[in-house]
Amino acid sequence: MSALLVAESIEKSYGASRVLRGVTIAVGTGEIVGLFGPNGSGKTTLANIISGLVRPDRGRIVFDGRDVTRLSMDARFRAGISRTFQIPGPYPSLTVMESVRVALLCGAPAREGEERTPERIEDELATILERTGLTAQRFWPAAKLSQGCLRRLEFARAISCRPRFVLLDEVFSALSARDGEELASLLRSLNRESGTSFLLISHNPLILEEMCCRVVAIEDGLIRWEGNPVDLPKYVPAAAGHDHDHGHAP
Amino acid sequence: MKTLRVQGTLRKQGKSAFGGTTGTLAAAGGILLLLPLAGLDPYLLDVLTAGFILAVFAGSWDIVGGIAGQISLGHAVFFGTATYACALLTSLAGWPLWAAALGALLLAAAVGAGVGALAAPLTGAFVALLTLALGELFHEVSLAQTFFNPQGGYSWGGEGGIPVALPWAEGSPWFAYYAALAFLVAASWAMLRIARSEEGLIWTAIAGSELNARASGVDVARHKRRAFLAGGVLAGASGVAFAVHVGRATAADFSIELSFQAATFAAIGGRGTIVGPVLAALVLHVLFQGTGISPAPRVLLYAFGLLLVLRFFPAGVAGTLIERARAKRMIQAKGIGG
Repeated sequence: MSALLVAESIEKSYGASRVLRGVTIAVGTGEIVGLFGPNGSGKTTLANIISGLVRPDRGRIVFDGRDVTRLSMDARFRAGISRTFQIPGPYPSLTVMESVRVALLCGAPAREGEERTPERIEDELATILERTGLTAQRFWPAAKLSQGCLRRLEFARAISCRPRFVLLDEVFSALSARDGEELASLLRSLNRESGTSFLLISHNPLILEEMCCRVVAIEDGLIRWEGNPVDLPKYVPAAAGHDHDHGHAP
Repeated sequence: MKTLRVQGTLRKQGKSAFGGTTGTLAAAGGILLLLPLAGLDPYLLDVLTAGFILAVFAGSWDIVGGIAGQISLGHAVFFGTATYACALLTSLAGWPLWAAALGALLLAAAVGAGVGALAAPLTGAFVALLTLALGELFHEVSLAQTFFNPQGGYSWGGEGGIPVALPWAEGSPWFAYYAALAFLVAASWAMLRIARSEEGLIWTAIAGSELNARASGVDVARHKRRAFLAGGVLAGASGVAFAVHVGRATAADFSIELSFQAATFAAIGGRGTIVGPVLAALVLHVLFQGTGISPAPRVLLYAFGLLLVLRFFPAGVAGTLIERARAKRMIQAKGIGG
């Protein structure tokens, strides 16, 4: 499987704190990869660097063979790299429909042979809302949505422009069992039908086992383990032992 | 069939965020059209004329500070640039009024683009501080700068300002009233069109969450620059109208008080609604100027009015009414969709 996205030797420090220390991770086309790690392990910093929110101190991000390290987050979204946030930050005064429309207006590059007419945008909008189960809430201001609906809106925005790679940061947290199942089913169908690749960030091993083809474990800013999700229970975090080494790979 | 029905509903409801405001404006316009026929004295006619122009200025602030969420505390920069350009180009350069007005508008647009370029990388309080500093800079320069008066006598500029060379000796207050009213109606229509446009939607998104907008593919800096440009042009247009109305550009046109006044009108009327700030500016200006209240108690009344509005209408009068209408529509949609 060819690598769609490669984060290569990523290093990032905030002052004296070295958050990422030479992390390399690759996600293939149509692959669902899990990124596992405890709080403070560097998962979200890596997500911010991949999505373009934060610049790495060293290393590069290669997407579809192109170095995108210097691209801004909005340019990466237009290029096909999308993300959700751990804590959704919606546009409070916009309705669900308007929120997704913003992404469709700005994020969708004119695809070859496709005319971006207002009718087409409205059609795509209706399809996304129906697919993410938000049609009934389409006129609701985002500020009035429940946590479950906010997560769905976040996901609708992320997938609105048919991205090739989606980074999902703790997207299943704060969801009811039913909402979680619906989201998982949507994620799988997108992966199956469109070949969309996902990097699923979670500290919940059960979700990663269920959803992913491969799991990468990160701790103290280093990749500690990589393998089949079913083997994840065998992985013993370094922090769990008494010989916690503060930064050296085993 | 279900999909088609949903799509149809979406298209139909897509422009409803400011629903009903055009009708309200048309009704208010009708009343104002007939008002001079009721035998208003020339002073009140003059107060209303200035009120119409000030209302456009308040609306232009709302484009930048309300719709796009970039709190501009130096908005008078665009207004003053236009009034000074009008005065200098007619009195010193000898341009005809129409050419000077066009030049003033272009200059205000250039200043809007410049301020936008400086403000685009900044967020929140830093935008307010930058615009405040720029406003103060322009104000101080206009106070200190004097110009040689080719007609002799005292030099121009400073506190006294610069006259605008008008092609008429004495204008008709009726004509000025109706011209300013037409300007208000045209500018309000344009501002509402902008607010309802795709660009307006993107500005509202940026105002709500810059991070979310960036994650949705929005080039935030580019759209912020556009908001300042649009606000600059509209404030410039109101500056041109004001210069022609009073026949003089003074340092007060750049004052911080004028910028703060626009922000206050928006807070009272409802930020991001256009109609709210326009009506608040018109009503409050006419109320305070028309009743002859002196400046010191006027400021106190503004502050008291603002406190009252924020207590009972947290999002401004029009803003709170729109929020309530939205909540009602949300309940109806729940009933249909649910």
